[in-house]
Amino acid sequence: MTDAAARPLPDGELAAYPDPSTWDDVVVHDAKDWPRRTERHFTLVPTTCFNCEANCGLVAWVDKASGEIVKLEGNPLHPASRGRNCAKGPATINQIKDTERILHPMRRIGKRGEGLWEQVSWDEALADIGGRIGRAFREGRHDEVLYHVGRPGDDSYVERVLHAWGIDGHNSHTNICSSGARLGYAAWMGFDRPSADFANARVIFLISSHLEAGHYFNPHAQRIMDGRQRGAKIVCIDPRLSNTGSIADWWLPAWPGTEPVLLLAIARLLLENGTWDREFVRRWVNWDTYLRAVHPDVEPVFDNVAPALLAEWADHTPERAAEVCGVDAGALHAIAEVIGANLGALATHNWRAAGAGNLGGWQTARCLWLLSVLTGSVGTVGGTSPNGWNKFIPVPPRHTEPQGRWNELTWAPEYPLAHHEMSFLLPHFLREGRGRVDTYFTRVYNPVWTNPDGFSWIEALTDEDLVGCHVALTPTWSETAWFADYVLPMGLGAERHDVASYETHSGRWIGFRQPVMRRYAELVGAPVESTREANPGEVWEENEFWIALSWHIDPEGDLGIRRHFESLDRPNEPMGIDEYYEHLFAHSIPGLRDAADAEGQTPLEYMRRRGAFAIPGDQYQVHERVLTDDELTRTVRGDDGVYRAPGTAGLHGSLDEIDGHMPFIGDGSAGVDIDGTPRLGFPTPSRKLELYSETLADWGWPEHATPGWIRSHVHWEDLDLAGAERILVPTFRIPTLIHTRSGNAKWLNEISHRHPLWLHPRDAERLGIEVGGLARVTTRIGHFVIATWRTEGIRPGVVACSHHMGRWRLEGDRGNERWSSGVVGLDNDDHRWQLTPREGTRPFASDDPDSGRIWWTDAGVHQNLTFPVQPDPISGMHCWLQRVTITPAEPGDRHGDVHVDTERSADAYREWLALTRPGPGPGGLRRPLWFARPVKPKATAYRAAT
Amino acid sequence: MARLGFLIDQDTCIGCHACTVACKAEHEVPLGVNRTWVKYIETGTFPNATRQFSVLRCNHCEDAPCVEICPTSALFHRDNGIVDFDTRSCIGCKSCMNACPYDALYLDPETLTAQKCNFCAHRVDVGLEPSCVVVCPTQSIVAGDLNDPTSRIARMVARHDVAVRAPEQGTRPKLFYKGADQASLDPTRTAIAADGMIWAEATAGHPTPPVPDPEHQVARTAYTTAHPAPWGWRVSTYLVTKAIGAGAMLVAALLVLLGHAGAQASVGVLAPLIAGAFTALTGVLLVTDLKQPGRFHFILTRPNWGSWLTRGAVILAGFAALTAAWFVAGLLDASSAIEVLAAPTALLAAATAGYTAYLFAQCEGRDLWQTPLLLPMLLTQAATAGAAAFTLADVFVTVPGPDAVRWALLGGVLGTGGLIAVELSARGTRHVELAVAAMTRGPFAGRFRLAVVAGVVVPAVLMILALAGVAPTGLAAVAGLVAVAGLAAYEDAFVRAGQSVPLS
Repeated sequence: MTDAAARPLPDGELAAYPDPSTWDDVVVHDAKDWPRRTERHFTLVPTTCFNCEANCGLVAWVDKASGEIVKLEGNPLHPASRGRNCAKGPATINQIKDTERILHPMRRIGKRGEGLWEQVSWDEALADIGGRIGRAFREGRHDEVLYHVGRPGDDSYVERVLHAWGIDGHNSHTNICSSGARLGYAAWMGFDRPSADFANARVIFLISSHLEAGHYFNPHAQRIMDGRQRGAKIVCIDPRLSNTGSIADWWLPAWPGTEPVLLLAIARLLLENGTWDREFVRRWVNWDTYLRAVHPDVEPVFDNVAPALLAEWADHTPERAAEVCGVDAGALHAIAEVIGANLGALATHNWRAAGAGNLGGWQTARCLWLLSVLTGSVGTVGGTSPNGWNKFIPVPPRHTEPQGRWNELTWAPEYPLAHHEMSFLLPHFLREGRGRVDTYFTRVYNPVWTNPDGFSWIEALTDEDLVGCHVALTPTWSETAWFADYVLPMGLGAERHDVASYETHSGRWIGFRQPVMRRYAELVGAPVESTREANPGEVWEENEFWIALSWHIDPEGDLGIRRHFESLDRPNEPMGIDEYYEHLFAHSIPGLRDAADAEGQTPLEYMRRRGAFAIPGDQYQVHERVLTDDELTRTVRGDDGVYRAPGTAGLHGSLDEIDGHMPFIGDGSAGVDIDGTPRLGFPTPSRKLELYSETLADWGWPEHATPGWIRSHVHWEDLDLAGAERILVPTFRIPTLIHTRSGNAKWLNEISHRHPLWLHPRDAERLGIEVGGLARVTTRIGHFVIATWRTEGIRPGVVACSHHMGRWRLEGDRGNERWSSGVVGLDNDDHRWQLTPREGTRPFASDDPDSGRIWWTDAGVHQNLTFPVQPDPISGMHCWLQRVTITPAEPGDRHGDVHVDTERSADAYREWLALTRPGPGPGGLRRPLWFARPVKPKATAYRAAT
Repeated sequence: MARLGFLIDQDTCIGCHACTVACKAEHEVPLGVNRTWVKYIETGTFPNATRQFSVLRCNHCEDAPCVEICPTSALFHRDNGIVDFDTRSCIGCKSCMNACPYDALYLDPETLTAQKCNFCAHRVDVGLEPSCVVVCPTQSIVAGDLNDPTSRIARMVARHDVAVRAPEQGTRPKLFYKGADQASLDPTRTAIAADGMIWAEATAGHPTPPVPDPEHQVARTAYTTAHPAPWGWRVSTYLVTKAIGAGAMLVAALLVLLGHAGAQASVGVLAPLIAGAFTALTGVLLVTDLKQPGRFHFILTRPNWGSWLTRGAVILAGFAALTAAWFVAGLLDASSAIEVLAAPTALLAAATAGYTAYLFAQCEGRDLWQTPLLLPMLLTQAATAGAAAFTLADVFVTVPGPDAVRWALLGGVLGTGGLIAVELSARGTRHVELAVAAMTRGPFAGRFRLAVVAGVVVPAVLMILALAGVAPTGLAAVAGLVAVAGLAAYEDAFVRAGQSVPLS
């Protein structure tokens, strides 16, 4: 059942890869000189891809004659990607060789956003930035230092840095990505992500387009198709025909936001048909809590659970669901039948999609997980596990004490249950006077472009009173970097160190990203001191940068920061990167040391040679593990059967009793009594799967404590569909691109560079939009103008426009790469903003002759600018779907025009803010202690300010 | 002996384009061209709409038309069945691009030579799979030995219902498709809609049927890559100049046959002068159409004698030599030598005019050009063009037996007209029908109408009048001019329409 790490050799004599034992010197004929047999010698260095979150293995082919990387193939030793990649993996070479990339640290001259830069040395940049952060810390302004991350690509490094700095300064992109699904999952099981065992499933139920854009696109696609080859049926819910939908056995284009209704109807059918796993539910679900809370008139015995649920979901018959969702009731019956016939082998997944689109979208994930629970498909072979079972986060060397602060600029009191930081509201928080930012790091993050309401971001970033210094850590120019004070070039996938682990399948692995040229220098006997000596230009990597910066923040060590960054064996010297990973791999990864020993290598050398490691052991049914006596000592068994330990979040008198790091998820309890046996269970307060979430109830949302449906802000019955109102799906991704990080990959842009508005021909006729004509799409805060594309692959009433395109720059030859971006004009009259396209993509002269061969012209439309912030009041998720009015373009409208009024943005923000039920919650807490939280602070920081 | 082939499993392909990019990386393929690409088509109506993918590339045909037509053997079969190429030998004639029925070849903008998927022969040689096979997330591309019954590919081909592209071309492809929608393999059944493709711009070079054909087009092309027509005005003009050159000597030979070998000015000197000039012009057009004109001599130094491009070059050279000899004889007023030269010259003139029929027949991708009427058409066109040259010459020098020339012109245009009529009324393949539609009511209809009016109707009427004695010299000269203009329009319509039918 486990995945073989290396891909089996195909039949015949052809191998997928040179034998890893030969990787130091692989001889292959030169492709261009062929059919002459001109030998070329390569050294193969493994690393991991930095494009999407999957972190697939790559192997860089370094030409020994030129000492340059010539291409990147897959890494057959990587347990998740198994030597295979999507288009973005091999396209990494475009990014490395991009003639438009930033090669030196830059500092702005002139006004912020004016676009004038000077090259500075790293030392100057470190001294200046480190100095101002040090001053902020000395003056007690810890909350004014923020690190805002897009693609992390690493699991623990920066967390350690922020704990060491003693600040609550982490700001993730999660709330514009996955918060919805996270809350839905967390409310059930503590863990906030699913890990589906697609390869062994009998039914695969997807609410996302996993075969082109899922969170772990390539590893998941491999296994979904493996499962399908073995006979699994695929269900895909998506209002537009994705590539996934086109392959599914059932593509159900439900009305956006009605997905929970569809799922509850299937749940009902399972209960009615008696095709559900009674025993699993009896043992592992907190049904008694549910009955007591929701049906106090009913005796709390298990036999009453199914009738109670059927009564609760009485409205959700398949026939009614078919009406609300706009799908065929027969399909729901058929799907329920196939699910019911394959109990235990239902693999489900929701990551973004509906969960990220709708008000109450988090209930989509909660209702989807309900199907996994009812069918007993939790942690089974072919089922779905909590992600935490298939992910491994190592403890870093010099593990510090948790930071003790709570930053309300990111963890706002209105959103105590958010997963996680309210990152996209930052401009509004700043405008409201909730605080200011002294030093703001954007790291591989482009909020001006990616976040909703980008003009509010520009307003905030250009206001030096609100943001004192903006440091963009990025491999490429971006719309956001333009508004920075420092643009510091950081390495791409093959130019940096990271350790990451993801729940791509059943099993645990860690992947090691390494700077290829640095490793190559080491292999040829010319090691370098710093990654930036081996990378192109002065491109560095964050991990070394953070050590150096920390040193500049606290040069004398009196702030207590420097000591966390000192060498383990060279006192008073900064820690080296090799030392860091040597220690991490030697001490924190189960089984790695033995595996390295068997090869006669140090753990670090082993990882440098292989790039990934599969942690031994089976990860199914982890919840069933019987607790050891050791684990039970010092625990107290509660009336609910939970074994809690004093001094943890689960059992304490005051918060001061809770020492050190709290668990990332869970309250620190050991397990739960199941039929007389103490078992590990799930990291929820009940240690069971929570059909009824007391946390949701206690924190102000009792009506949503069980899986149910919350009417979306774009619910179709509330729209004037007979008129010009439609639902806009603005987020769908395509298999070749990744947010704004792939604009520098010429081969990817050649394949995909336009994103017309999909609309059904019937809608086009009704709306009076000609074939290929321009549409004006009006949102709550403005409008954009875009070319249209008629397709049968979308639900009438819904229009869709892919993410990725619409990249821009303000100057002809700088500010953004020219492979994907167009030149625009940016004008504002106070709060009225206008973006006007001036020139599309064009051929340009560079050292790469291909830049003169750019044949596409459409740079797309920056639609996100016109979206108001729409934070879900519970999950904090930005609800991406837009209620829009679609009209034919007006005279003078041009493809790419954008108009926005940020006063209306502020109005929208306040309206959505008013939907919240602010904390503090029970016990005067800012957030449930057991909920996951990045850079989780000391328990005492959870005490709300009085 | 291994016989390598591909199988693409469209049942598991997810249309991710990884193969496209891995190939670009392996071969540093420039922007604008592709060795392998993924086509998307969409069929059905909501909510039963669906999207199908097909991975398209060289089929490594057992009977590879590209290998056959390549004049310099730059394209060749390896022993293991791979259709490989050597850019060093390629002269950039692009004939392979018209020979291939699959749009597999492109002109590389860096090397200015034809390139395509070569099965990563340089990798295979050291025991590695092609890069597209390695990268594929779902292992949907299978490469292996079709001759080894235990290989995965041989087992899959044996076990499953597999399809090949354009089997009617008889090329015996070694690229098999499992689970592919037939429409995704038949480019005449899908079209790019007016509002373009799903996420790439559609240029004039993106393949789509030249005329709307709702009856046959069952799907929309949502994504594909550009494959612009390889041959343009130079090739259509070459057909005209060659017809004039060859025709001039054909008519001259006719005049010799009629006993006018002694007409020094017109038959002895002017005819070979015209023929020589237009043959030289033909040569210039041919050489300048090469993307590697400096390598034109490879046709003779690295010849593929099976290629009609090579054979044509020899015929042209022979014809030029005889024409030159005729010219010398004419200058010397050696009418007896001209009498001796007449028959072989006529023969080579006919070959010069007609060999293109065999060359075009080798363009297996262009069904319109496969017509058996092409040879007679080229001959009647040569007669027309040659006679036209003489009717014009008649204005300046005395042409003996002017009526014979006029009859030749009338015969030529009527013959051409008749052949066009037969051609249009004949039923052909879908490709032929689409190409004919492109000529008669599609993008080349204007040129085609001009071809009929100027190439047939007007000169025929004028010649009848001329033969009836109405200002015969003047009218015949005008008719000749108009006929040549019509001929040029026809050739251009024919060359372009033949290439307008999508192959991918």
